[in-house]
Amino acid sequence: MITLLKNGKLYDPAHGIDGVVQDIYIRDGCIIAKPNAHEKITQAYDLTGKVVMAGAIDMHSHIGGGKVNIARMMLPEFQETKNYSEPDAHVCTPNCSHNATPSTTDTGFRYIEMGYTAAFEPAILPINARHAHLEMGDTPMIDKGGYAMLGNDDYFLRLLANRADQKTINDYVAWTLAATQAIGIKVVNPGGISAFKFNQRRLDLDENNIHYQVSPREILKSLSTAVHQLGIAKPLHVHCNNLGAAGNFETTLNTMGASDGLPMHLTHIQFHSYGTEGDKKFSSAAAQIAEALNKNKHITADVGQILFGQTVTASGDTMMQHLNAKHANPKKSVIMDIECDAGCGVVPFKYRDQNYVNALQWAIGLELFLSVEDPWRIFLTTDHPNGAPFTSYPHLIRLLMDKTFRNGAFAKLNLDAQAMSNLTSLNREYSLYEIAIMTRAGAARLIGLNDRGHLGIGAAADITVYTDQADREAMFSKPDYVFKDGELVVKNGKVVKVVWGATHTAKPAFDHSAEQGLKEYFEKYHTIQLDNFKISDDEITQDGRGQVITHTNKS
Amino acid sequence: MAKSDVMNSNHADTRTVMATCPACGLLCDDVLVENNQNKISVLANGCAKSIAFFEQAAGNTTPRIAGEPATLAQAVAKAAQILKAAQKPLFAGLSTDVQGFRALYELAQKTNATLQHMNATSSQRNLRVLQSSGWQMTTLTEVKNRADVVVCIGTDVVTHNPRFFERFIQQDGMFIGAEQRETIFIGENIKKNDALERSSLLACRASNLSEITLVLRALVLGKKLKVTQVAGINTSDLQAVADKLKKAKYAVLAWVAKDLDFPHAELTIQNITETVVILNQTTRAAGLQLGSSDGDTGANYANTWLSGLTLSEDQAIQHDAVVWVNSFSPEKNPPDSGLPTVVLGNPNSRPASEPDVFIPIATPGLDCSGTLFRVDGSVTLPLKKLRETDLPTLSDVIRKIEAQLG
Repeated sequence: MITLLKNGKLYDPAHGIDGVVQDIYIRDGCIIAKPNAHEKITQAYDLTGKVVMAGAIDMHSHIGGGKVNIARMMLPEFQETKNYSEPDAHVCTPNCSHNATPSTTDTGFRYIEMGYTAAFEPAILPINARHAHLEMGDTPMIDKGGYAMLGNDDYFLRLLANRADQKTINDYVAWTLAATQAIGIKVVNPGGISAFKFNQRRLDLDENNIHYQVSPREILKSLSTAVHQLGIAKPLHVHCNNLGAAGNFETTLNTMGASDGLPMHLTHIQFHSYGTEGDKKFSSAAAQIAEALNKNKHITADVGQILFGQTVTASGDTMMQHLNAKHANPKKSVIMDIECDAGCGVVPFKYRDQNYVNALQWAIGLELFLSVEDPWRIFLTTDHPNGAPFTSYPHLIRLLMDKTFRNGAFAKLNLDAQAMSNLTSLNREYSLYEIAIMTRAGAARLIGLNDRGHLGIGAAADITVYTDQADREAMFSKPDYVFKDGELVVKNGKVVKVVWGATHTAKPAFDHSAEQGLKEYFEKYHTIQLDNFKISDDEITQDGRGQVITHTNKS
Repeated sequence: MAKSDVMNSNHADTRTVMATCPACGLLCDDVLVENNQNKISVLANGCAKSIAFFEQAAGNTTPRIAGEPATLAQAVAKAAQILKAAQKPLFAGLSTDVQGFRALYELAQKTNATLQHMNATSSQRNLRVLQSSGWQMTTLTEVKNRADVVVCIGTDVVTHNPRFFERFIQQDGMFIGAEQRETIFIGENIKKNDALERSSLLACRASNLSEITLVLRALVLGKKLKVTQVAGINTSDLQAVADKLKKAKYAVLAWVAKDLDFPHAELTIQNITETVVILNQTTRAAGLQLGSSDGDTGANYANTWLSGLTLSEDQAIQHDAVVWVNSFSPEKNPPDSGLPTVVLGNPNSRPASEPDVFIPIATPGLDCSGTLFRVDGSVTLPLKKLRETDLPTLSDVIRKIEAQLG
């Protein structure tokens, strides 16, 4: 069984291929070298004139687990708008269910219909990991994976407060990755979720958690060192302190220095790039943040672009979500403290282009995209669903690739916000090659998915084929073909075959004697058995739907 | 005995296991059970509910059609025939684990069925609050380690969750000692829990809880009341509760939706959750929903991620067939609907009237493995297979039925 994709124009940045016409051969789900003349080609697709890229990878999207499900439960009205059109508010693909909290089925279908073949849940509470995997297991079509949250759990904070050595921290981090079947480590408002449980309302980078007397900087240092020393590919995923607060850009700039040069990824950085200039004391600090990102080669970031319309914000950051709950629209929210592990805050939001702050948030995101020079270190996200549903990616891609379209959208914004942004002076237009870096090659490299995000020999045949159109939104909304592990699963933007995808994990080795401390902690303070905390491979692969892929450590 | 779930082969036919108990929403996973020649007995950390669950008889494994013994194939064929003939079946009970629910959900999609859990009425009381105003909540490990004042409103808790106080309140936590905690009960028919130190009771009629919680909410907000009594409780006593809540470092306000069995109970729950919201402006507090049984939390969660919507109460649709599932509770019977009825049930079920089809199924956590959500929603635990059985799982039976639907 050999499938031939003939004459497509390839954009494969992992191999420096920028719009070169080349054939691709697929066998057993993988890309292979050109077979011998006597080997039979079972199926061929003529892709003359078509754009071919690896399947796209969303490296940060809240697709599974407690928070999103709470959002679904709280917001039944989101489901009722399924057939309701909001042309001026909500921009999305032709198949979009107009829904910031799609069901697991819709999630998989909407992703694959746009040519995305993998998405990573960025905030798995370790205690909630089993739930997250259950949901991801019910998400068809795409590959999945997640980042486990540490840095607000009492076990880690006790270690840090007691000046545990780095090896102890490393063992705990590696144990957590294995127990939760995750591929990376995330920290949300380092120390802040815990601090909120002790009634502390704000926490700055060098301020101490009032109970543990450790600072976010110390937490970041400890966790980024652990991730680095364990050899996990994915750098520590950091949601900085002070999310959404005017003037928070200084915290963000300082955070870049917290790891002493070790790799860190700053997520949804748009929400962390705010200054305090102007009459409204809220301004863009995108220029400062972009300059720092350009300089600090050890830092990567994703944007967390906002787009206008109804959505819901779902975050582990209880401290800041509790503060933001007064802006909830519709007026309801959920704040939870969870299991001495972390917490969650779910606050619905409606971003409006005539609202000064929202309009400026939109512009700040785009300013960041256009000012960060290296597309390998900046990633295309809306922090789904926090900035906008992931279904708006094609629209966002057009904003990046089409200056006229972008400036037209800018001209409709709140006028005070327009006066505070330099967006129209940024002439950059992303190329297809750069889009392929941000959404494919760069994302795969960042997470450590060696056989994804590229079209080289040996790669998994996750491949998306588009018709080259001047309207990039139309182009990226509806691929001609999507292949998942070599199988044709989407034709003309519609799913033609249902597949289930794999779960990507990383499991660096650790000293199993480290479990003794955990065992004592669980018996004394927890409410479940340590052994029940751990998720077996069987739990993910049951029902015959999924498989667990474990990526070996980098280098 | 070391706390471990490793099976110790003490004797050729005897082994002990640390089991997870699905009999109530707490999902205690420290219940030590022994399997002696396929008979389970609870050795340690049991309660009346868990003993009744784990020690239930294996039951009759023979399916029945209209009361007559049948093979599984015959019973499945008859069930499929009933579903094929139905336009709008009702799948009710839904007492199962996540895996069983997934299978039921798929079958419901294929047969145009409505899903309704046996606890739908009480679950709705909570959901109405979540969907109207949201809430600020906590989970059991936070309670165990932080709660200094616990107010149980309209419930003694232990009727539903027998080990709640033993496991989470009468224990020293990371940030609070057991003897420092204070527990306050407000409500009707609340048994005095003698084991609890520093506990007090404000007795009132359940039907007055709406008024009392509203007054408590006002007092926490700082309103002054002129009346000296509210529904038989001295305002000064309620003021004292309000003061304790405001002074607490981590107050927990708990309720059991099933116990708030009066019209518009959601308004009482909302008074509780909005009291928490007010407290959180200045100190820390949290709501805690307790109770739960028969996999209701997991069924609701799974339905939500699978469909985008929560399970609801029956919308008064005219149904023409009923499928009843009661894996965990043999005593819970299908509604007396007069409609063609299929029971996929616990083998010890004794339906009041004989259904058209009865297929005994394996009980998750006893006869087969499974997964269940705890009442606080944030913790999901695996259930273990503890004894050997010939019974098919709910998913097995549903797959067989689906195969016959064509």
